[in-house]
Amino acid sequence: MLERLRHLPRDTRDTLFLLLVIGWVLVPQLGRLPLWCSALALAVLAWRGVLAWKAQPLPSRWWLLGLLVLTIAATLLTHRTLLGRDAGVTLLVVLLTLKTLELRARRDAFVVFFLGFFTMLTHFFFSQTLAIAAAMLIALLGLLTALVNTHMPVGKPPLREAAVTALTMAALGAPIMLVLFMLFPRLAPLWGMPGDAMTGRSGLSSTMEVGTIAELALDDSIAMRIRFDSPIPRQSELYFRGPVLSTLQGRQWLPLRSSFPERMQDMPELQTRGEPVRYQVTLEPHNRPWILVLDAALDKPDVNGMELRMTRELQWLTDQPVANLLRYSARSHTEYSHGPMRRTVALQDYLELPPGLNPRTLQWASELRRDAQRVEDAPRLVDAVLQRLRTGGYTYTLEPGVYGDNTADEFWFDRRTGFCEHIASSFVIMMRALDIPARIVTGYQGGEINALDGYWILRQSDAHAWTEVWLAGRGWVRVDPTAAVAPGRIGSLQRLTAPRNAIASAVEAVSPAIWFNLRATWEAVNNRWNQWVLNYSQATQLDLLKHIGFSSPSWEDLGYVLLALIVVSSLLGAAWTLWERSRHDPWLRLLEGAARKLGTASAPLAPSMPPRTLAGLVRERWGAHDVRAQAICGWLLRLEATRYAPQGRSGAHLAALRREFKQLPWPRR
Amino acid sequence: MDLAQPLPHPLRRPVAHVRARFRHWWQSRLPLRDVTLLTQRNVYILPTRAGFMLAATLLVLLVASINYQLNLGYLLTFLLAGSALVGMHLCHGTLRGLTLQLQPVEAGFMGGNTTIAIDLVSTRRRVRHGIGLSLLGSGHWTWTDVPGQGRATVHVAFKPHRRGLQPIPALTAETRFPLGTFRVWTIWRPASRVLVYPAPETWPPPLPEGEPRAGSAATAPMRRASGEFDGVRSYQRGDPLKLVMWKKLAKADELVSRDTQQAQRHLLWLDLANTGVALAHQGSGTQLERAISRLCAWVLAADKQDLEYGLRLGGRQIPPASGEAHKRRCLEALAVYGSAQDAPSPQPHGH
Repeated sequence: MLERLRHLPRDTRDTLFLLLVIGWVLVPQLGRLPLWCSALALAVLAWRGVLAWKAQPLPSRWWLLGLLVLTIAATLLTHRTLLGRDAGVTLLVVLLTLKTLELRARRDAFVVFFLGFFTMLTHFFFSQTLAIAAAMLIALLGLLTALVNTHMPVGKPPLREAAVTALTMAALGAPIMLVLFMLFPRLAPLWGMPGDAMTGRSGLSSTMEVGTIAELALDDSIAMRIRFDSPIPRQSELYFRGPVLSTLQGRQWLPLRSSFPERMQDMPELQTRGEPVRYQVTLEPHNRPWILVLDAALDKPDVNGMELRMTRELQWLTDQPVANLLRYSARSHTEYSHGPMRRTVALQDYLELPPGLNPRTLQWASELRRDAQRVEDAPRLVDAVLQRLRTGGYTYTLEPGVYGDNTADEFWFDRRTGFCEHIASSFVIMMRALDIPARIVTGYQGGEINALDGYWILRQSDAHAWTEVWLAGRGWVRVDPTAAVAPGRIGSLQRLTAPRNAIASAVEAVSPAIWFNLRATWEAVNNRWNQWVLNYSQATQLDLLKHIGFSSPSWEDLGYVLLALIVVSSLLGAAWTLWERSRHDPWLRLLEGAARKLGTASAPLAPSMPPRTLAGLVRERWGAHDVRAQAICGWLLRLEATRYAPQGRSGAHLAALRREFKQLPWPRR
Repeated sequence: MDLAQPLPHPLRRPVAHVRARFRHWWQSRLPLRDVTLLTQRNVYILPTRAGFMLAATLLVLLVASINYQLNLGYLLTFLLAGSALVGMHLCHGTLRGLTLQLQPVEAGFMGGNTTIAIDLVSTRRRVRHGIGLSLLGSGHWTWTDVPGQGRATVHVAFKPHRRGLQPIPALTAETRFPLGTFRVWTIWRPASRVLVYPAPETWPPPLPEGEPRAGSAATAPMRRASGEFDGVRSYQRGDPLKLVMWKKLAKADELVSRDTQQAQRHLLWLDLANTGVALAHQGSGTQLERAISRLCAWVLAADKQDLEYGLRLGGRQIPPASGEAHKRRCLEALAVYGSAQDAPSPQPHGH
């Protein structure tokens, strides 16, 4: 088998290599494609490989046409459309694999290569990690190797030669890539994306229904990285504020839908105390129009290229979805008060409950309220409910099961188990039933530091939901009922973890420390990747220009710099060409110069005439005894001697000859 | 694509006419050289269709990267673009610096293929891959690799359309290595000319009768037993077996005897005026060509039979002799007969 592999005919070897490369290009995509598409792609590649191995003819075009029609129909059935990202990827993979069955002419091969390049790009829709980048770099080199190989028409050159050429091209192309990457102006999307363009990127949601955050808690991926410029607050105080959910419809929490006109609603009335915490956030794209800040940020965070505004509920909204890695710096206060100090009409919004639901919770609330008639007793009521959470046998779990419509009733009286979402929701319903204005705040809580690069990491599993209750004289006050149920959930590294894959758990079982360090290293590298590659944006570009010396750079300046670089490199290229021409044999150039001087306009001498022949011509023209002729002939014969009878280094002689050349009595033209 | 080809009609096919004129003008200003060093000045480069396809691919990749805001997509696009740009340079470098040398050209017969051998000499260290050579416009490519600091020889055949001392048609060398996105080519007009013998008539009539030699009309043939022979003649009854040329029999399937006295008796003169083709007047196209073609066939036949023969072409006369050199002389005379190059000793080789 190995022997056969080494002595394969060239066609077979090239085809097998191309199939291998295409397989490599497709592998990361297989898991995401519809099952039939992955199976078809693998089957077709395998079939084509067998045909190549056995040197059998390719199937007829009718076969291909039939397969193509079938797969288009299947795509239509699976995705309900042929347009859009996912359907496009499916079709692309189908076309690429089917085209391998039609490798007849050189043009077909080109189509395969170019479809391959497209397929490589489609991976980046779903993942732009370091691993996928490395895989695609290998794929690119593979495709280039195959492309170079098809342009070596003679014999059976080893693939290594083509690979070396491809590698050379990529290595020399890399600086061009870097310059273009750094200077090519980052434009806004040229037109709107199909709806499915951004699915598959996890994050907080603008609404909350039972189960949503359970999925997030299982997701160990990184949500945001923070570099603190001032001392890091205690972990239990790190609440990163996201969407605030204030309106309850059935079992779904929504952002506030106020029943009051704009002017009657409360102002944020944010008052801060103490030193601010300064930090820089690198936010993973979540495709939602908000950013997350620690607790309360009084000043507008510094985000390049986006308009920000703070809602009445202290959430910072952006004017466009965060579709890219986003870096911003902010100042926050962990000690603050906000909201009206006295009870206002608008607070009524935070007391609304859906009618007819959770009767037992309402019943329990009215029992509690009988004891506390006065408004000032609200803190005591809050404490009483928290006390029940602590002592009433409530537990924290990631798998609470499916709840019915009366979520609060089920939590308080039947199941007594849930995660932050259930706990916060039930708590707020209870508060509202007690006539205490309350709302849910979602965001991220906690996090951990990566000891390698000092970045504070928040994962999707750090997503959390807590509550705020309004108390007279204190405004909105944060209450985290989950802390009452499971103190470990808040403020320590001990927490429920999602199941790991086999390798991870094996490593972790052997040595948790090694696992921890490995993960820390990997994440530090990944962070670099994010900071330098994925987060490279127009803002970074403009910073770069500022660094070069532009006082107020705009994207037009980027164009100018790019243009200047192109002009400079072309000039360098021209200079190099001149230099290369001058590198021609100096001896020959001298001889050519002599031939030019001796020839006439009507009868030019051939530049390749040997010196001795030229000398003969000179003698013929002027006679052997002419002084000028003797000088020139002597020079020509010495020129000949430097070439054909080298004594010592000919370079020194040549230099002397060149000097003489200028003083010789050449005939006038 | 031959320079000698007539131009298309200017009114009926104006575009083709202008193109052909341009090509004509372009080629005629190329210097004639037997050795040519390919430099920036005579190596041309243009993108191929695949090159335009790649450009379109790059554009789509760029638009996708912009629309989906994929920084990794930008990297892929620019790396591919950078590689293609380097590929363009490598492609040009494959031809640039190469020396094309024409090897001395053998004369050939009209109607048959004349093969010219070209040396490709490379001084750089790396191999030059995938260089094709062809006659300009013929579309028949011969591909070769030129090893580093070495040479490769390529043979290109062409069919001359006229006899005489003919210019070698323009040659072109091309490469698409490494990516096929650019076509780099050069056009080269060799200075050497190739001597084209007339096409021998396919079924010529038998050789004409020899003319009796003036002054020695009827000397009886005198056979000698020694090994010296002066000529051959057809086998006659009674010829001793040892005079039969058995080798000839094996080769040509005819009985030929050695004849010591033949040269004295008859002289075989191949005369343009006596070929059996009616020549209206000197230099009349097809008839003359037919006559020349017949003479050519006769020269070959006579040479094959080791006969002694002479050639009369109008005013020019080549005295009877035999052998390879004589045959060549006769064929050369036939080749250039009636043309401006009708000179006594044409130089078929390059210098």
